[in-house]
Amino acid sequence: MTLTDAPARPRPSDAGRASPMSLWRLLWLELRRNAMPWMFPLLAALFVFDPFRTAMGYGPFWDLRASVLENKLLPDFVAFVAGVAAWMGSRDSRRHTRDLVDATARPRWTAQLTTWAATTLWVAAGFLCCVAVLYGVTASQATWGGPPWWPVAVSLAELALISALGFAAGTFFPSRFTAPLAALGAFLLCLEGFRNAVGRSSGYALLSPTTSVPDDDTGLFHHYLPDVSIAQLMFLIGLTLVALAILGLPRAADAGPRPRRAAAVIAVAGLAAAGTAIGLTGTARTEAYGTVIPALHDAANDRPIPYTPVCGQAAGMPVCVHPAYRNFLPAMTADLAPVLRQIVSLPGAPARVDQVVVNDLIPSNGAAITGVPPVLRLPVSGTPDETSFGQNAGTFTSYLQSTLVTLFVVGARGFVSMGPPAGTPGQQAVELALLQQAGTAIQTGAPGRQPTKADQVATAARRFAAMPAAARHAWLADHLAALRAGHITLAQLP
Amino acid sequence: MTAAGLQKPEPRAEASRPRGLLSHSGPRLVRLHLASRRVPGALAALALCALVLRAALIWHWSLGNGNGAQQLPVLIEAGAASIIAVTAQSPFGDPERATGRWLPYLRLGTAVGLTAAAFGLLAAGAAAEHLPGGTLDILRNMAGMTGIGLLLAAVIGGALAWTGPMAYMIVTQFGLIGDWTSPWVWPARPPHDAGAALCAGLVFVAGIVAATVRGARAFREV
Repeated sequence: MTLTDAPARPRPSDAGRASPMSLWRLLWLELRRNAMPWMFPLLAALFVFDPFRTAMGYGPFWDLRASVLENKLLPDFVAFVAGVAAWMGSRDSRRHTRDLVDATARPRWTAQLTTWAATTLWVAAGFLCCVAVLYGVTASQATWGGPPWWPVAVSLAELALISALGFAAGTFFPSRFTAPLAALGAFLLCLEGFRNAVGRSSGYALLSPTTSVPDDDTGLFHHYLPDVSIAQLMFLIGLTLVALAILGLPRAADAGPRPRRAAAVIAVAGLAAAGTAIGLTGTARTEAYGTVIPALHDAANDRPIPYTPVCGQAAGMPVCVHPAYRNFLPAMTADLAPVLRQIVSLPGAPARVDQVVVNDLIPSNGAAITGVPPVLRLPVSGTPDETSFGQNAGTFTSYLQSTLVTLFVVGARGFVSMGPPAGTPGQQAVELALLQQAGTAIQTGAPGRQPTKADQVATAARRFAAMPAAARHAWLADHLAALRAGHITLAQLP
Repeated sequence: MTAAGLQKPEPRAEASRPRGLLSHSGPRLVRLHLASRRVPGALAALALCALVLRAALIWHWSLGNGNGAQQLPVLIEAGAASIIAVTAQSPFGDPERATGRWLPYLRLGTAVGLTAAAFGLLAAGAAAEHLPGGTLDILRNMAGMTGIGLLLAAVIGGALAWTGPMAYMIVTQFGLIGDWTSPWVWPARPPHDAGAALCAGLVFVAGIVAATVRGARAFREV
């Protein structure tokens, strides 16, 4: 019989309560003897290498940059958090000191929770340092809004869960291989969560914090909807409680009724929270400006955020953008001017350009020319800055000009999510010609090959673009209605 | 009673010669060395990695096609390399270094043998399923990452040497998504890429040399 097998002696009735100071001392001891700080140089290098670099590639928009916390920084952390937590959880068994520490005054579960808490506190400290750097730099660049805290809270909750799972794995399976296997398992979980969230195989994939990169204008025109974040927090905290309770249940049997009851209550509360979150996520529906969970939704978040637009001039027309895009206004006016100059005074040509929110649910993203006088409602889903996703000044120019030209010639039905470009060959040729005149290159087929439909369109576009500007403008003024109706063929183009 | 008062024991009869292969000093030394490095446990953990790889291939856990599909196999290869790296940890430290004449050969045999076993197990796990990159990819990626783990074990000790392959794996995930072309990010290169194979081979040889000559650093355990 070992000391751990020996029955616990009943607590004397006259024994005083343990001093809370001793618990603090224990926590301080665990903080000093924790392996997590050893990981900080590595995590700092990974943070600079990917999350920070990626965030700096995004425009200076708070919600967009905050998305790297869940999509980049969290995956960097999870493997090391799980591994180190497993290492700390298996410490007593690895050092063969389990019998020794079991005989100490504190219940073993309390001591284990203290070790887990110390590990998690170090993790949180490291994560918050990265958040501080990211938000600090963004604060010096952003011209609108403030730091979003929901992604920080969700990320910390996931790290606490990973830490609890790793710690439990280390406690129950103490071995030198537990740490690398826990790291492997945590990253696998993260990767699969991301795969399901991106693929959206079911609504429950919303429970994964890592998901697609949001639009640039998230949180600018409408409030960030915290519904999903609240459900994720409930789910992650609930599972953390369950993991910690499971950690205590085997020991609680020997420790008396109070720890046993506490472990059971914590486990039930955790299960209830996680189950409720799963149930709520099942009711989620995707709307234009975010995902709504009816039971958690605050109607006040549906109201647009008031702002005073910032305006510039492009070919004599006012171009107005959200104040957060103030720094990109010169680039936008410079990109739109060459197209606006070609279509000015033509029927249906916009007299003003207003930036609107990106709507991912429709192929045009909400772009339209509406009203009298016509106003171009232009969603801007990128910036001229170079990003790791291949966006740069060239793609930004191309997006703005092609959106304007498509709307002017074909209308909102000219945007397609997938497949060949919409519009008749005649319409496509005129679009290409306008873009070519604006400075956007036209792709043509390989020489010596049988001409395809695309080649015929490109040839007609070059022919049309080669006309004098005044003649082209006059032809458009005469034939624009027929062109928009799809009645102009390639052969009818001058 | 003092030691001076003790009688010397009678000389014992010559010990009987060992019977059986494992009773001989050579195989016994090998067996004890493998046991001290928890090689049976490592083999079980590697078999678990192979099972996860098989499950991932059967149930299509991979993300998309092309380089995205490589993310999961690379993760599992990093896991296998991490397991090999932590076997470098010695429970004896300096006494073993001071007395073990055959220690470098035992370390070399353990590292190479475990790498071969890991390759065999992962290749078996991927057998008859479509593994992006094929078995050549497993060999190159895992050998290179094992080298990283063994090098780190020589620097910071075997206990936390798993962090090396894991950190490299995370960097590699970016390389896979971003289509990096550097041969030092060998998992992002095609299986027959000579530069990537050379880089991975160099790192593996460096790791094996470090593991053979120095072994894992005896570090203060946290």
